[in-house]
Amino acid sequence: MISPSTNTLHLLGSSHHTADLKAREKISLPPGHIDDFYSGLTKLPGLKECLLLNTCNRTEVYGASDSGNFSPQLLSQYFCDFRKLEPDFMKHHTYECSGEKVVQHLFEVTSGIDSQMVGETEILGQVKKAYDDACKRKVSGKILNRLFQKGFQAAKWARTNTGISKGQVNLGNVLCELARRIFGDMKKCRFLVIGAGDIAESAMEAFKSRGSQPITVTGRTFDWCPLSRRKPDELAEKFGGFALAYPEFQDSLHLFDVILTSTSSGKALIDYQQVQKCMKLRPSRPLFLIDSSVPRNIEENVSKLDNVFLYNMDDVSTIANENLKSRMDEVDRCRSALAKRAVQLWDQMRAYRSPPASINQSTAPLS
Amino acid sequence: MNINEARDLLWLAGGFYGLALLFGFFKPFKTEFHPFRETPLISIICGFIFHTRALYLRGLDVHGCPLGNTLERVQFILWSLIITYLILRILWRLNLLGTFCAGISMCAGWLTLSIASADNHYWLEDNYSRLFSDPWIELHASIAIFSYGIFSLLAVVCFMYIIQRQTLLSRKSNQLGSFLPPINDLEHASYRLLSVGVFFLTLSMIVGGMHWAKQPEFVTSSKLVITIALWLGYILLFLLRMGNKLFGSRFAKSCIALFFIAILSLSVVNSKTTDSKEENTPPNLTPTQSE
Repeated sequence: MISPSTNTLHLLGSSHHTADLKAREKISLPPGHIDDFYSGLTKLPGLKECLLLNTCNRTEVYGASDSGNFSPQLLSQYFCDFRKLEPDFMKHHTYECSGEKVVQHLFEVTSGIDSQMVGETEILGQVKKAYDDACKRKVSGKILNRLFQKGFQAAKWARTNTGISKGQVNLGNVLCELARRIFGDMKKCRFLVIGAGDIAESAMEAFKSRGSQPITVTGRTFDWCPLSRRKPDELAEKFGGFALAYPEFQDSLHLFDVILTSTSSGKALIDYQQVQKCMKLRPSRPLFLIDSSVPRNIEENVSKLDNVFLYNMDDVSTIANENLKSRMDEVDRCRSALAKRAVQLWDQMRAYRSPPASINQSTAPLS
Repeated sequence: MNINEARDLLWLAGGFYGLALLFGFFKPFKTEFHPFRETPLISIICGFIFHTRALYLRGLDVHGCPLGNTLERVQFILWSLIITYLILRILWRLNLLGTFCAGISMCAGWLTLSIASADNHYWLEDNYSRLFSDPWIELHASIAIFSYGIFSLLAVVCFMYIIQRQTLLSRKSNQLGSFLPPINDLEHASYRLLSVGVFFLTLSMIVGGMHWAKQPEFVTSSKLVITIALWLGYILLFLLRMGNKLFGSRFAKSCIALFFIAILSLSVVNSKTTDSKEENTPPNLTPTQSE
């Protein structure tokens, strides 16, 4: 039974909001220590249920107690002892809350509005994983089961009904979104990368994850000799693509739908005449050119050709920033909506004296 | 509101299309409109049912396919536009296309309804017997008008292509662009719609041509010239696109321009023949109701 007079939910956590990278490294739990951490945590007097969420950006301990005997300070004390941290350090780099605020915080975490990259979806998978782990250890019971299931529902609601996940903010994903608006199905897209910069790698990763055709890579430092392998062919190998000899790429432009240049050659590798010639061989199929080099590798006037879409890094960054801004505009609206849901759930939990068995079953994970 | 009155039903159909337009445009931007997710499609279907019933009632009045005045011809084109969209939607799930179609249907439908002279009651005249003297002419006219419906959908798709292209060329984050289909798909869709439209227009030309060969006096020279010019225009467009000579934005702009020419020429190609033999025929009994 959850008594209205007792705080039954507790949270101790640290994230990018309260701790810099160095501090987070100290607080974060190494995977090999999690078993020991849980075994000590479950022995804390008065704590009936617990769950550890340990990601690169946040370490949080959720607890539930069914009596007034549990003191939330015990969590902080235990954490300090376990990680051998100074209490002052912990006080500066962590946050604690109880009751309704825990519900609201979890809703904000699962929906991604508390993340460093607002609206990112990875956190939901990480919370689900942490919850599954807690269930397997049998440390999550009826209170945390209900809380986390509702947290997943709140995340889904927030992503569907607010704009916090709208638009891509990662450069690779922005390029993929643009390619989708041009070609639709990425499985039919043939992608050529000239050079091997960071942007190229990020874009290749994004395209590959969306199921594009094997990616072709070429570069000025490309070498056929296996003993003197350079970056472009390493990149091709890494993403399961093909390497193309550099002198041949200009005659093969018409075979590709998306061409990304990422070299430091300092001169135009693709000029107007080449693109014009290429478009004669594929007139009705659009060509998406991405110039991520500074100085630029693609002549700007190629965008005057019909069905040619040229983007440079400034354009892509502008889109990413606009998307991020529109997400930020949605955060307050999303937060207040989630707060209402949190109050509602907290009121239900407080009034919830003896839940029917069917509810417990339905909220327990299948694992 | 009388559900047995064609005009009332057409107003009602326009209202439903307007509702679809409103919700369709609202939905992508206001995602909390979750309960109304299917409202645009349901509104289009409701509008289409009333639209069909209205044309059926008018067809009973005029004893034939209702293509006797401007209102009827426009409404038949809009009906063809909506039915083509609904058929395409089975294969190609595209809500925003429906929103555009609903918008055109509402605007054009209500506009013609509000112009009294567009709906002259020719069937109430004393010597009126039926709209078409020959069932082949009726078939010719209805296929031609149906092809206009397809061309109107083609114009909508081309319009969407131009918007998508502009949003891509603006190189800015654009919400509308994200909801529009990929530019490559729009290009393919417009080519296919043009092919289907040209097929139906050619079919109507063959049927009409057979009748014209037998009774050339029923068709005025201006009607003949404009009809053939339009048909040749669409054939040329089709051949240029097939040969990859015309594509992308220029193709889209050409399709829209040709559609506007076709709509503007409607009044000419439906004008009553000046032939003296027609003196005793009902005002709109025009044997070559081509388009």
